[in-house]
Amino acid sequence: MVLAERMRWIGRWGRWLLLATLLVYLFLPIVAVVLYAFSTKWTAHILPDAYTLKHWGSALSDVRLVDVALRTFVLAAGVTVLDVLLIVPAIYWQWTRNPKIRPHLELTAAIPFVLPYIVIAFGILSLSGQFIPTLQGTVWLLALGHVAIAFPFFYWAVDGAMAAANIPLLNEAAQTCGATPLKTLRQIVLPNVASGIATGSMLVFAVSFNEFALVQILVGARFETISLYSLDLLTGANADFNKLAIITCLTFVIVFFMSAASVYLNRGQTQTSRLVTGAKSTK
Amino acid sequence: MDSKVSIESAVLPSDGFQPRSLLQKVTQWLADWLPALPILIVAYGLLVAPVVALLIQSFLSQEGGFTVANWAEVLASRSDRRAIVTSLGLGAVSATSSLAIGGPIAWFISRMLPVQRSVWLAILNMATNFSGIGLAFGFVAILGTFGMLTLAFKELGIPFAPPAPGSFWGLVLAYNYTNIPLFILLTISGMGILRHDWLEAAQTCGATQWRFWRSIGLPILTPFLGAGWLLVFTWSIGLYGIPFALAGNGATRKVTLITLQISDILQANISGQGNAAVLAIVLLAIAALSLLTYRWMIGRTAQWF
Amino acid sequence: MGSVSLRNVSKLYGTAVRALDDVSLDVMSGELVALLGSSGCGKTTLLRSVAGLERPTQGQILIDGRDVTAIPTRSRPIGMVFQSYALFPNMTVRQNIAFPLTTRQKAPRRLDQRVEELLDLVQLNEQGDRFPTQLSGGQQQRASLARALAASPEVLLLDEPLSALDALVRNQLREEIRRIQQTLKITTLFVTHDQSEAMAIADRVAVMSRGKIEQIASPLELYETPATRFSASFIGNRNALELPVQNGRVQLGRALDVAAPEADSTRAIVFFRPEDVEFSNNGIGHPATVESKIFQGSLTRLHLVIEADGHVGRFYADLPSRQAAEVDLGSHVRVYINATNARVFAADI
Repeated sequence: MVLAERMRWIGRWGRWLLLATLLVYLFLPIVAVVLYAFSTKWTAHILPDAYTLKHWGSALSDVRLVDVALRTFVLAAGVTVLDVLLIVPAIYWQWTRNPKIRPHLELTAAIPFVLPYIVIAFGILSLSGQFIPTLQGTVWLLALGHVAIAFPFFYWAVDGAMAAANIPLLNEAAQTCGATPLKTLRQIVLPNVASGIATGSMLVFAVSFNEFALVQILVGARFETISLYSLDLLTGANADFNKLAIITCLTFVIVFFMSAASVYLNRGQTQTSRLVTGAKSTK
Repeated sequence: MDSKVSIESAVLPSDGFQPRSLLQKVTQWLADWLPALPILIVAYGLLVAPVVALLIQSFLSQEGGFTVANWAEVLASRSDRRAIVTSLGLGAVSATSSLAIGGPIAWFISRMLPVQRSVWLAILNMATNFSGIGLAFGFVAILGTFGMLTLAFKELGIPFAPPAPGSFWGLVLAYNYTNIPLFILLTISGMGILRHDWLEAAQTCGATQWRFWRSIGLPILTPFLGAGWLLVFTWSIGLYGIPFALAGNGATRKVTLITLQISDILQANISGQGNAAVLAIVLLAIAALSLLTYRWMIGRTAQWF
Repeated sequence: MGSVSLRNVSKLYGTAVRALDDVSLDVMSGELVALLGSSGCGKTTLLRSVAGLERPTQGQILIDGRDVTAIPTRSRPIGMVFQSYALFPNMTVRQNIAFPLTTRQKAPRRLDQRVEELLDLVQLNEQGDRFPTQLSGGQQQRASLARALAASPEVLLLDEPLSALDALVRNQLREEIRRIQQTLKITTLFVTHDQSEAMAIADRVAVMSRGKIEQIASPLELYETPATRFSASFIGNRNALELPVQNGRVQLGRALDVAAPEADSTRAIVFFRPEDVEFSNNGIGHPATVESKIFQGSLTRLHLVIEADGHVGRFYADLPSRQAAEVDLGSHVRVYINATNARVFAADI
């Protein structure tokens, strides 16, 4: 083969090799986790010695596990509702009445991307110790913390939807039809940005669900969430990889569906940096 | 902004009513800002104020007076210095390897046909969802004492073991699980900048592929690749959950990082809170510097486009 | 300088799409041949095949007698101007122009000199240190041309270089390109879908349709005597009437009577120019209704309809506006079509 042709041959196969290696690298940890959920003993060979379904049964009947899961779920749901209630009016007002709101929101929305969550957690701990010691260590503070760090995702999702629907124009049209701001919000704005709100909600839920740093620093074992529980199962005295695998699988499935749904709702928009969710949530 | 004009003309009364009294001014201000106040209070209170508090705290001594002793302690402490260097090193290694692997892959994916492309983008998006403690577990399951790869190496008779999950390189592997897809997703839109007819034009000018990349392709892509590197770097130095789960606690810990040092001090609840604040501010400063460099890099591309 | 030849070149995509269908073409040294046709006719594919950006499925391509079919683009003695200019955005105009010289390793001092020569040639002396995005469309096109000519190629290829420009700039640049081409006597292939552009600058025009060259001839010949129905419909402002053939003749009432085409067919298309429509005062010709009048400055276009023997014929004539003003909309005028210069082709082949 001529040198040039050989180079091209290497190039073509090299490309597929690289992509294949990436695929293996990405799937291997997932495969390992899934196998742990179904395996009995796994200490000697590449694959588990035997398989079983009993872990699933024991997991669902484990009170602590169920408590943890419910707690995490309720917290995430609460944070999501709060974010929706707090942010939608602000964005609506920003688009229809007071554009000066925007710089404030955009500035604060940039902070969780620059600042590691542990720094934020530490800061909140420190500040709350000085000013509102009663709230320190409670789940309410944690919830507010989650509301704050997840808000950029919600904001960008809804802001994008507002732009796409050309809300200022619709708002003007509504006014010429005699609608009050509240009526406009309910009947004109909300239906048109519904997909943005839905996407944003799912992102917020995923952030809160997976979050670790704030939970550990602000409340610790007083409010054990899935991430804290997982840590205990991984490195604690009662390490239980099988149970951990099950919880991880469940978490993954939930977060995956959220992300898939948000991609589906956002098809046609290509803002990849805003769609990258789960990674940001577990600093 | 076009909408600004229409908002003002649509919303403010056209007779130019100017609020005079204090009460009127306050009412007007409330009318403009009320719906946004709750979130702004939460955002400023929980994102901005804590940072300011940390900054102040880093200069606060035990008794409450101004001091630079905390800063001096941290800079003098060997373990703290090591933590800073390791954090920077880990971030840089992870970012660079993500660039080396993710860069070409982003290029390949950007050239694929739409169907193939969406499949790959979906896979990458899915990978970014698998993170946190669960991901740490995944890597223990692969690289740990009884991990899949470790056992595989043993069974195949390979004389050495893969990096342990808590070691420097183990952490790099774990970080890259999120960082490579992150890098690809961030730079893939930048790849579209490179037009196919530039490649063809270069050919008609007698250039080889190599020459094209050297003179045109890479210079144009460098700001985007550099921006991706910086974002991945900033992200990596701030990671906490994964290194905490992998690197272990106390004596068994093999790798010291800024985030872990901070957590150590907080968990122990001793009087070193000022030091922790210093470390936090150091982290913040590195991140801020990174972000500024990122904006500068992106700004430079404006000259060409 | 180089000649260009294509011998039986075909380009297939899959089994169905024939972008080029057994095309043969000989371009003489120093000649400018325009490839003319609507989109999808294969003109761009042909150009890109000569450039080496497309590999023909069959056939040979020769430059200056040398078979270059297997030679990659970068080794061919060509210069190409792209429709989108394709100037490298990270390089100044000077660097763009110098690029073909650096790839072929010219000595630096002579390189600078050469770049200055080219800047002079395309009149971009002041813009040498600007970046492409800082130039207007016309300036970018000239820079692109300078880059294509930098390494003194044997063949110059232009792919619809003027279609992205506005009309005024387009006409100016058209003249400049022709002037430069004739000064340098460089063999040139010029792709365009605009027939007036092709006619204005080319030595010969190749009319293409569906992967084949319908006709290649000088602009005048093409205009006066189009050889195929396609060429006739594509070139020049013409009327076209489709009418049945009866007893070897094609007629429309008493307005038109012309011999049928040689091929055996039941229907024919007659092409004639607006200036062949004569208005008569005496009895010859046939009454036509004025359907509409379109004012175009010194001339007014009259759209006419003739109904005769169950056939309807629509065509137009151009009258000086002052005369046209006296003709009312909807009125009848007597017209006669002078068939001396008409072209008749079979319609159902």
